[in-house]
Amino acid sequence: MENIKNILNKFDMEYVEDYKPTWVKAKLKNKEDILNVVKALKKEGVKTCSTISPTDFIDENKIEVNYFLEDLFNKRNVWLKVDIPRELENCEIDSITPLMPSADWHELEAYSTFGVKFKGHPNLRYFLISRDYYGKFPFRKDFDWKEHEKNLMQNIAEITEEYFDEYEEYEENVGHDGSRTVLNWGPTHPASGPIRLKVYTNGENVEKIDPDIGYVWRALEHLAERKDFIGTIVAVERICFMDNPNPMICYSQAVEEIAGKEITEFAKYMRVILGETGRIASHLISLGGFFGTMGLQTFSMWCLDIREYFLDVLEDYSGARIATACIEPGGVRYPLNDYKAWFESINKAIKKFEDTKDDITDIFMKNPLMNTRAKGNGVFTLDDVAKYYLAGPIARASGAKIDVRIDEPYAAYDKLEMDYVTCENGDARDRLYIIFKELQQAMDLIKQAMAKIEEGISEGEMDPKKDHLIKMPKRMPAGEAVARVEWARGEMLMHLVTQEKATSPYRLKLKAPSVNHTMVLDKLLKGKTLSDIPLLYGSMHICQGDLDR
Amino acid sequence: MSVGAMLFYILVFPGLLFLLAWMFFVFYFARKVLAYMHKRVGPHFNGPAGTLQTVFDVFKLLTKESITPKSADPYLFNIIPILAPLVAALPVILIPWTPLINNGHGILDTEYGVLGLVVLIGVEPFLLFLTGFGSNNKYSFLGGMRILAQMVSMEVPFFLAALSPALLFGTMNLYEIQSQNTWLTALILLPGAVIFIIAMLGILEQPPFNIPDAEQEIVYGFYTEYSGTNYVLLKFAEFTEMLVVLSAATVLFFGGYRGLFFDSFWWLFLKVAMLAAVMVAIRASNPRLRLDQMLKFCWSWLTPLAILNLVWIIFAKIYILGA
Repeated sequence: MENIKNILNKFDMEYVEDYKPTWVKAKLKNKEDILNVVKALKKEGVKTCSTISPTDFIDENKIEVNYFLEDLFNKRNVWLKVDIPRELENCEIDSITPLMPSADWHELEAYSTFGVKFKGHPNLRYFLISRDYYGKFPFRKDFDWKEHEKNLMQNIAEITEEYFDEYEEYEENVGHDGSRTVLNWGPTHPASGPIRLKVYTNGENVEKIDPDIGYVWRALEHLAERKDFIGTIVAVERICFMDNPNPMICYSQAVEEIAGKEITEFAKYMRVILGETGRIASHLISLGGFFGTMGLQTFSMWCLDIREYFLDVLEDYSGARIATACIEPGGVRYPLNDYKAWFESINKAIKKFEDTKDDITDIFMKNPLMNTRAKGNGVFTLDDVAKYYLAGPIARASGAKIDVRIDEPYAAYDKLEMDYVTCENGDARDRLYIIFKELQQAMDLIKQAMAKIEEGISEGEMDPKKDHLIKMPKRMPAGEAVARVEWARGEMLMHLVTQEKATSPYRLKLKAPSVNHTMVLDKLLKGKTLSDIPLLYGSMHICQGDLDR
Repeated sequence: MSVGAMLFYILVFPGLLFLLAWMFFVFYFARKVLAYMHKRVGPHFNGPAGTLQTVFDVFKLLTKESITPKSADPYLFNIIPILAPLVAALPVILIPWTPLINNGHGILDTEYGVLGLVVLIGVEPFLLFLTGFGSNNKYSFLGGMRILAQMVSMEVPFFLAALSPALLFGTMNLYEIQSQNTWLTALILLPGAVIFIIAMLGILEQPPFNIPDAEQEIVYGFYTEYSGTNYVLLKFAEFTEMLVVLSAATVLFFGGYRGLFFDSFWWLFLKVAMLAAVMVAIRASNPRLRLDQMLKFCWSWLTPLAILNLVWIIFAKIYILGA
């Protein structure tokens, strides 16, 4: 930490201060310095860029660019800010992509939505947003959404036309000199989900992959700005339907930090239980989907069968199975009137999994044909993890000891016993095994949290009918906060900015791990065959919801 | 052979009606068994235990519009679905179905039964390749290429395994083969039968060799552009081929319609259904192989084993049966 501070102090900084145990917050005076700062930090070990979040301060006529840089293995993070002018002509800054490849798509996103030009970016282009937003930069505060939506039908017609033009172009590429062609793998492909991979193939061999994303872009970051602080949870939870509670935990933490409130012990443990249930629901889909990519549906069905029981748990608590809206700033949304009955349904779900566990291990985890396909296929090393910021299970499958629950404990994770779950090889098979191991860890955590709650209730320290929520102010003070949680697919980072006496967020940046996981597809699949695309793509556990937001 | 008998053979048994009934049965059977292994219910509402569901499905498809894509070759695209079931149904005349027809011989009682079977089964994939070619769609074309690669390699062990009973009994007449089969010879033929069944999975494009119509990779392979009637016809060809190959396995290795207390068609049917159940169980528990892994497996394991099996058959014929 001290080393990083010393490095930062060598440059012309407005301030350098500690922020949380693992972060250093600094503001750079001069935007010309950014490359030198990043270079020096990289030498020190801060090799990874988590995300880049511009904030549009229209009154002060500036855009503040926030860089979140992380040293994954030594848990030292830097939050670097720098102001740049707001006018489109001068709104530019040096690109850090050549130094940190993990920043690549985050810079493209910042360019597409805020118009921050990154000088020296290898391929600066519009990205994520649909064609009718090109050059309009929708997240800027002066963008008129109503005006834009007036031309909706015309815009759709133009998009369709351009798509067909592009399609024709690819058809022409099929010449008699070779069999090189472009396959549109998606967005209506059986295994793709709403994403289009342009697969440049030579027969069965993949030469290049060019992901085209943005098919489910809902501008969630803007939606959050239109809602009040509690209403924002429904925008946040829709990042991805599979792991629903964890994004809300992340957002709520950011709000609580700005408001300066501490939630009750009971609510903390409840967050653990709900968060882990969400993780299990997501991991079960990932597990089944992995075999689904190889044409075996049996396991998906078994997993969905188990998952129903965990969705029952969420339903018993919140009344909804998928979009639960069960966590809000200040604690958890509902009291637990009959905690024994709820714990009973949790135990039932865990028992359901444990009854099937042996069968799953014997039939699927040790399946020889799965070994043939996945073992040694698509390996990521630790260097790749730092270079591209592979997060969560993908990083841990390569042996990286990264887990926000341990590195920067939130909710009640610091009071529970847990350890890093890792595999060694980092191939596709390990990315399956790690999910299976994490499932068991999650169930263990739920059991521990339930025991703590029961203990607290019997000692009279917790009241499940009253302790769930503390009173939060309607209007927030001005401030900003960064919150991180370990989401089912990796680190989720939210950067929340509020203004004085505001009723809704001024800016909410959502960082989700699938962006980086999609970014590495080209590296992962180059030189492989067509059959490897669904397998390796499935092994990255990508969800398009959090890819596009 | 009288005209009446010929019409009966063509239209009722073992011709059109029988094959249709088989299609409805195996469709339903596979769905129900698979559903059981998936922990699902499967077809449930139409008919007793959902038995009419597949009938409804097939007739629904028949009433749907058969779309010919703009870019496809209309003649090739539409003629293959007619040719494919015909070619697939041809081997039916070679197989001895029941003691009631032709004194228990096949309708066409020939000395070249095994040869005819293998050749007629081997023609089918080339027609399917042409569907992929005629669709003029990238995914269909890839499916067509895959089916060729798979067939060319899988037919070698398939043929070698089918040869083993012919070699053991010294005849290619299917009736002779099944009537000479005893418990002992069935045991001797067992390795051949296993190789035959594995190669059969490849021929029928069943998991783990369902590479040509791998849904997650190339959408639906050569089927991708087909819909309505054409699709039903192609599926009909697929199921007919499945019946032919399964009953060929039964006749060659497991004594055809011969049973424990009496000889009947139902013994053959039972054996075919058991083989189909094995196929579904393999499908429910194994993921798909990659094309290059399939080729490697076929040429470096299955084909050499099939040749070794022939050596074993000759050895057994000389030293065990004492020919």
